[in-house]
Amino acid sequence: MKVLEANRIHKSYGNKFNKQEVLKGLNMRVEKGEFVSIMGASGSGKTTLLNVLSSIDKLSHGSIKIEETEITNMKEKKLAEFRKKHLGFIFQEYNLLDTLTVKENILLPLSITKVSKSEAEQRFKSVVTELGIYEIKDKYPNQISGGQKQRTSAARAFIHEPSIIFADEPTGALDSKSASDLLFKISEFNNKRNTTVVMVTHDPVAASYSHRVIFIQDGQIYTILHRGDQSREMFLKDVMNTQAVLGGVHYER
Amino acid sequence: MNVNQLIYRNLKKNIKNYFLYVFALIFSVALYFAFVTLQYDPSMDETSGSIKGAAAIRSASFLLFAMISIFLLYANTIFIKRRSKEIGLFQLIGMTKNKIFRILTAENFILYFGSVILGIFIGFSISKFILLVLFKITEVKRIATLHFSSEALIQTLIVFSLIYIFIMLMNYIFIKKHYILSLFHVISTTEAKVQKMSWLQMLIGVLGILLITTGYYISSKLFSGSFSTVNELFLTMIFILTSVIIGTYLFYKGSVSFISHLIRKKKNGYLSINEVLSLTSIMFRMKSNALLLTIITTVSALAISFLSLSYISYYSAEKNAQNNVAADFSIPNVQDAEIFKQKLTTNHIQYTEYQIDVIQVNINAEQIIETNLGELGIDPSLMSAPVISDLSIKNIDLAANETLLTGNDTLMFLSLKDAGSIQWIGQNDITPHEYIGFKNEYFISWYFTNGGPAAIVDELVFKQLKNDLNPEIQLPSFTHIGIHITEENDLEQANDIFKALGFNSNNAYDSRLEMMNDWKMNMGFLMFIVSFLGLTFLVTSGCILYFKQMGEGEDEKPNYTILRKLGYTQSDLLKGIRGKQIYNFGIPLIIGLLHSFFAVKSGWFFFGTELWTPMIIVMGIYTALYSIFGMLSVLYYKKVINDSL
Repeated sequence: MKVLEANRIHKSYGNKFNKQEVLKGLNMRVEKGEFVSIMGASGSGKTTLLNVLSSIDKLSHGSIKIEETEITNMKEKKLAEFRKKHLGFIFQEYNLLDTLTVKENILLPLSITKVSKSEAEQRFKSVVTELGIYEIKDKYPNQISGGQKQRTSAARAFIHEPSIIFADEPTGALDSKSASDLLFKISEFNNKRNTTVVMVTHDPVAASYSHRVIFIQDGQIYTILHRGDQSREMFLKDVMNTQAVLGGVHYER
Repeated sequence: MNVNQLIYRNLKKNIKNYFLYVFALIFSVALYFAFVTLQYDPSMDETSGSIKGAAAIRSASFLLFAMISIFLLYANTIFIKRRSKEIGLFQLIGMTKNKIFRILTAENFILYFGSVILGIFIGFSISKFILLVLFKITEVKRIATLHFSSEALIQTLIVFSLIYIFIMLMNYIFIKKHYILSLFHVISTTEAKVQKMSWLQMLIGVLGILLITTGYYISSKLFSGSFSTVNELFLTMIFILTSVIIGTYLFYKGSVSFISHLIRKKKNGYLSINEVLSLTSIMFRMKSNALLLTIITTVSALAISFLSLSYISYYSAEKNAQNNVAADFSIPNVQDAEIFKQKLTTNHIQYTEYQIDVIQVNINAEQIIETNLGELGIDPSLMSAPVISDLSIKNIDLAANETLLTGNDTLMFLSLKDAGSIQWIGQNDITPHEYIGFKNEYFISWYFTNGGPAAIVDELVFKQLKNDLNPEIQLPSFTHIGIHITEENDLEQANDIFKALGFNSNNAYDSRLEMMNDWKMNMGFLMFIVSFLGLTFLVTSGCILYFKQMGEGEDEKPNYTILRKLGYTQSDLLKGIRGKQIYNFGIPLIIGLLHSFFAVKSGWFFFGTELWTPMIIVMGIYTALYSIFGMLSVLYYKKVINDSL
């Protein structure tokens, strides 16, 4: 079953005279329960792609459907409604509210959708224990490590059981141990709960955790790699090879 | 792009950003100029002359100056901090600090003196209106004319140039002091770190509330007789002030976050958007602004109290005059009263007249007075008091050994027992008597009572006392002659006659209308000055809170981005912001109102006879004006939220 379907999406910035086209008629499909990575060099348009897919940015033209619902022409209010029900986000800069405790941060998406308190508590417990951050639930974000922050952010993305989770460089600011921990948890969630994950990354190791890697170059899909039955290590090699071919441009950072 | 263009562009950008600053600047210049114009206006002599008003106006204009300069300097610190990144950037591209300073100076010069000139212009045009208001409330019948006073102009220019120099000095020090890197971090260092609630903080929180309530409690007991010596009274007042002010500080420092913490704890992590935006942000931010908020609260409490009190006295002018003059006219001299009555008759003014015989007798009231009068140099066992017979008063009939006191006991700083024995001490005899109670009513004028109580005794006793007079303590007059004008419409004319006879310059003769007008003029004038200062304070403090909110809004912008990504709509966020601003502006307002309420309540009866109406009017107006700034800040937040995604 298709969860996300994007057809000929265009996105350009600037005005009539000074137009910069970032996405040039891109098509993509994501099946339910898939874990997809989007890779590409700096400026290839991967973050823009994620933003338009996740309804944060408006398309110039084209169509995007999430669970068969067309989102391109939705009004701001409906979009917000849509985001809170169907989407979850994990960002490189964690994006936690630093005046809220870990627990309050995680419960935020539930309080918008007005889930009952007891159910919220139950879901909170299960997500948090899976991610191993139960002990820090009453701490503030500036009292915990980067890895813990990102796991908090992940917990917030997972707690309301969205159709798709969008992750923008989730490991970008983490050390390698925390990064692999987090990716392991995300793919575990993906397996267990059958949650769809779309992740933008420049890190081949991170990408190797996914089922499928989409490479973009200059606003278009360059190639797609499927993991199939390969081991993660083998897949990582494939990803790195493809990246090397991809113009030899080194990734950021 | 050369430097001039840079200045021009900065200017254009800044006017949009700081429109409220410019507005506040124009407003304060206008107020100041209008006020100083009044000060130099020749027509002011009539209004202010009676109560050394010139001095009052001069000190008020100094206070105005102090308030405005503190406000402008404070606002400048906020703005220079907000622009620190820009300054750092200039340095990064190789400008010298001196050059940056020159750019800032030039830019400020245009903005500042542009506003000053505009302010002076507006101030001049509203000064007539202000004069009109002053004449209206002091009931001076004159036509307000408009004079452009060059003295006022010069004074205003000097004052504001002085402030400008100070601002530039501050900017200079700021630029000199900071290195490039630190300039990029100035904003973040001013905000307090988010921390977990510690025991110490909870203690501070509880202590703050405790101190404030103690202060309130004691203030309600202040004049109820529990503190009977003047020294005690004074010490108690000092105690109340310190306890409330320190309490307020601790309240902002700890109590607010303590209470929010308790609420959050109860929610167990499950917060609604309103709580996310209001509770959690206030919890941490109020603490770092504790000092500022304490000052704002205390001064606004002072302003509201003074305004309320002066309005109370203005409002109760009529009642006050009634208490002091026990008739429309009181003339304790038979011949003069006769002259006055003849004049009234020739002018066809109908009147009624009554006379009460008044004698002064020494009294030993040691047994019934609880207040320690020794400190005031009064011996409670030998005081003189005016005595009248019960025959002179309708509906009062006393037994031979009974004495009734009349007047207003709260106003006299007296606390009396409900009953007890007293002694009337004549020239030869001492008559023991029973004091049976106090009646809050006035039967004879100030001339006889001197503000103290008047005693009523049985006719027989009165005669006895009259035959046994102590000549040393007697007043020249033994008769209170009260004249009532039958038709209220004639009162004005009768008063003119009273004045034409020159009776108003005789302290012993009183006209109730004249006294009321005097009172209204004095109190009106006072009220006018206080409200002028109060208004300036209101606008400046409102602006400061608004500026603080501007900074907070910018700081919290990333949070709004996150929340909007999570699926909160703009209107959701705006609702939360409204809640937040109700706290941000409401807490200092409510605390200020509460402070002034208790202050006014503890001593209002010295100023007038009506508490609620004038106080509620003053507080209502203050709240309404103050809320404008809250609403403006919500509008600002709306823009920030709109831009955040």
